[in-house]
Amino acid sequence: MAKRSGTDGSLLHSLPWTLAALTFSMLPHIPFLPVWITVAYLGCAAGRLQIERKRWRLPAAWIRMLLALICFIGVLVSYDAISGVGPGSALLSVMAALKLLETRQRRDQFVLLFISIFLMMSALLREQYLWSLPYLLIALLLTLTAWLQMSTSRGAGARQAMRNSARLLLYAVPLMLTMWVFFPRISNPFWAVPVDTSSSISGLSDQMSPGDISSLSLSNAVAFRVRFDDVIPEPRQRYWRGLILHRFNGRTWSGSEPTIIARDDRPVEYFGDPVSYQVTMEPTRQHWVFALDIPYQWSLPKTIIGQQLELMRTQPIDQRTTYSAVSYPRFKLNADLRDYSRRFHLRLPEGSNPQTVKLARDMRAAAASDEDFVDAVLRKFHEEEYFYTLKPPALGRNSIDEFLFRTRQGFCEHYASAFAVMMRAAGIPSRVVLGYQGGEINPMGNYMIVRQSDAHAWTEVWMQGKGWSRVDPTAAVAPERIDAGMSAAMFGAAGASWGLVAPSEFLHRMRLTWDAINETWNDWVLGYGPENQNAFMEWLGMEKPDWQKMMLTGLALLVALITVISVLLVMRYGQPAKDKAAVLYRQFTEAAGIDPYLGESPIAFAGRLGKLDRSVHDAASEVTERYLAARYGPPSASGMLKLQQSVQRFLREKRS
Amino acid sequence: MQRGSTLGQVPIETTGHREAIDNVRRMLGTIILGKDDEISLALACLLARGHLLIEDLPGLGKTTLAQALAKVLGLSYQRIQFTSDLLPADIIGVSIFQQRDGQFEFKPGPIFAQLVLADEVNRATPKAQSALLEAMEEQQVSVDGHTHMLPRPFFVVATQNPSDQIGTFPLPESQLDRFLMRLELGYPSEDCERALITGSDRRSMLSDIDAVIQPVQLEALQTAATNIHISEPLIDYVQALVRFTRESPDIETGLSPRGSLALVAAAKARALVEDHSGVFPDDVQAIFTVVAGHRLKPASISAYRNPNELCRHVLNSVAIS
Repeated sequence: MAKRSGTDGSLLHSLPWTLAALTFSMLPHIPFLPVWITVAYLGCAAGRLQIERKRWRLPAAWIRMLLALICFIGVLVSYDAISGVGPGSALLSVMAALKLLETRQRRDQFVLLFISIFLMMSALLREQYLWSLPYLLIALLLTLTAWLQMSTSRGAGARQAMRNSARLLLYAVPLMLTMWVFFPRISNPFWAVPVDTSSSISGLSDQMSPGDISSLSLSNAVAFRVRFDDVIPEPRQRYWRGLILHRFNGRTWSGSEPTIIARDDRPVEYFGDPVSYQVTMEPTRQHWVFALDIPYQWSLPKTIIGQQLELMRTQPIDQRTTYSAVSYPRFKLNADLRDYSRRFHLRLPEGSNPQTVKLARDMRAAAASDEDFVDAVLRKFHEEEYFYTLKPPALGRNSIDEFLFRTRQGFCEHYASAFAVMMRAAGIPSRVVLGYQGGEINPMGNYMIVRQSDAHAWTEVWMQGKGWSRVDPTAAVAPERIDAGMSAAMFGAAGASWGLVAPSEFLHRMRLTWDAINETWNDWVLGYGPENQNAFMEWLGMEKPDWQKMMLTGLALLVALITVISVLLVMRYGQPAKDKAAVLYRQFTEAAGIDPYLGESPIAFAGRLGKLDRSVHDAASEVTERYLAARYGPPSASGMLKLQQSVQRFLREKRS
Repeated sequence: MQRGSTLGQVPIETTGHREAIDNVRRMLGTIILGKDDEISLALACLLARGHLLIEDLPGLGKTTLAQALAKVLGLSYQRIQFTSDLLPADIIGVSIFQQRDGQFEFKPGPIFAQLVLADEVNRATPKAQSALLEAMEEQQVSVDGHTHMLPRPFFVVATQNPSDQIGTFPLPESQLDRFLMRLELGYPSEDCERALITGSDRRSMLSDIDAVIQPVQLEALQTAATNIHISEPLIDYVQALVRFTRESPDIETGLSPRGSLALVAAAKARALVEDHSGVFPDDVQAIFTVVAGHRLKPASISAYRNPNELCRHVLNSVAIS
């Protein structure tokens, strides 16, 4: 049972600091926490301060128990879980709020400050932006200051405390850097925290219905960034191939699953000069890995290439992932198609979109060859009244019929879908590809940003002798979209006609600059994963780096650094170098059997020693007298000699 | 006057100093019984050219000590009894119009003495107090535009009743540090009190004793005090003490640079009195309470309410280098 006594106001000068530190650490979590937790925290903080100010009593133990139970159940109800970043930080915040109600003495605030540090750490689990670092440093500084404020009884020295905390942090910087560089990185660390799946990420999904991609076209979110090793392909060549869809139900394309397609022999031949590049993907929580056309090589573990030569990772991409890849701009894919595959890529749902099917068969009959037919369809899109728009009208069950004959307004998915259906109706195997087209070169960082607004759908048709080849019907309707890319078209007349609202140039440039800074940060700091670490270790001269070597090197460096820092600290704050008299006197005090107290003068010490042991009284007095003369008197060589003699005599006497 | 009017030319024998100091101490010890440490400190204060504040309850021998000092050191002596109606002119003196030659003539006040006893200085108003304190600081007084030098050497020994008594104006902190030392005499031991009761009257004894040294010799002693060797480690120690007073949470305002100078000056004088070859840590410790006690202000949260305890805490917390 806790004592029920009123508070005494002794926390008045340290509590505000503790609260400030805690609030600062909690702030990054607040947008993600249920509102009631923030309210509870603010209530407890204000209440606790008031209690201290008015010297009231703290709430009784049973009230605190009840509150703890209620809050625990509240977290459970809010999240349906008790593990993970969300519920974890919610529990920490609630604990901090309730701990305030039983913070009785100065040292109870330790717990609060520990919670504050935990909150900072969990904020990093949530997001690691560039600005998180300075923010968290400030929070850390504040926490340390609160710590020092709590440890001293004087409230006035806030500036001094802050300066001291800054100094402490500064001492820690070399240690931090060493640990950061040398602590072995593992690709899937066991301490990885399950990612908060409640918040949504926009991006491509694994099927395509009319309106899916146009809804992405306004999103500025970055899908991935690309750095090309030398040649940057032309905009019209930048087709980032992702998912291949081959099943159509009259409205929706799906069937990206890789396993259902029979294996075709010798699927691909590559021509031309390879293009090599690094892609850094933002998390998608999907399996798709994007590459330029057909990848030849790629460096991402646990990634397989599917039968349609698309890349897939066996586990979802739930954090920023970097890989390098090599693609060839020209290739021949599946020169031979087996009957099964052929039939598969010709399937259309029975009776759906009858008008389109009829139109396609008529046009094929009128055309001399498959190639002519493809050209005829593209010409139709180009020459007749078809419009490319970001806000296409909604379509019903027979979506292709409605689009081709009635609305005539569509985004890339409408044209790709209609084109693929017409091909299939005319007996040409076809499929829809989802991915990204284009990308904007960031002049500030010389890399390419591919945004969600670059999401695109196109088709691949198979023809005897040529294999699967890419046909993009959107290019026939809105060539600017393909030739310039979405971002560039945004500022032109074409973009406006599609319904794009361009931001101001200045804003756009600022955004690019910020992206470049962030990219550098990601590259150098967040991207320091197992591969970069291995490369860096090799650069440092470590042969075949493994975690034991890195750990040992890191530890050795840490020990060395701590030694150096300690020596520096001792030099700064410790005793000044002792001169010879002091060394001799030290021999005397060590032999004496008792230690001098802090601040005990030599004469007082000799008196105490003489009282304890009469036999050494005279010798001790003599040593003391000579020590004082030698050390504090005017310098003389004989004084030191005399001291040495008497110390030696004392040692001899003491020994005998 | 003595041979050699300026001090630098007078060859001074160290042994002569020793003898003189021992004689002064012995003579003072016959009058003030059982207070050898306080006598040494008071002497050190004067040798360091500092003014002395004696603070204690009435009847503990404050006045006797001041008178004895003046007598033994051969200094001209004046006593000013501070009362609530004391005016600055009563201390400094006044200019009086002389009918005879039609001019103003300055009538020096009691401050024009080598040793001035300002008795019960806290009973006077701040105005009178500051007249005294200004004279102490400047070593001169100005009346009607004329500056009058005070005699040399010039000492003020002020006595003060502890300030919790009724009807007093305690000296403010800023003026307290004009005094190099603040001494407390305290009650005598039983043996000394018995000797005091059975012995002869102190006042008649005072009139019987003769000066042991001359003012010139006193000034030579003062110079010798400033020339005492002070070593690097000792300066480190003084600085560590001063730094501690500035950083300790128990002390609201630490020692000022004037405070450190006072510590060093007093420690040197004490080393001379104790016949040390240089300033020893013991000298600093011996004078620390009396020099620093009235210059430190305990923090409101400090457990050390009393300046003496506070000073002991400082000494027990700082390592001797």
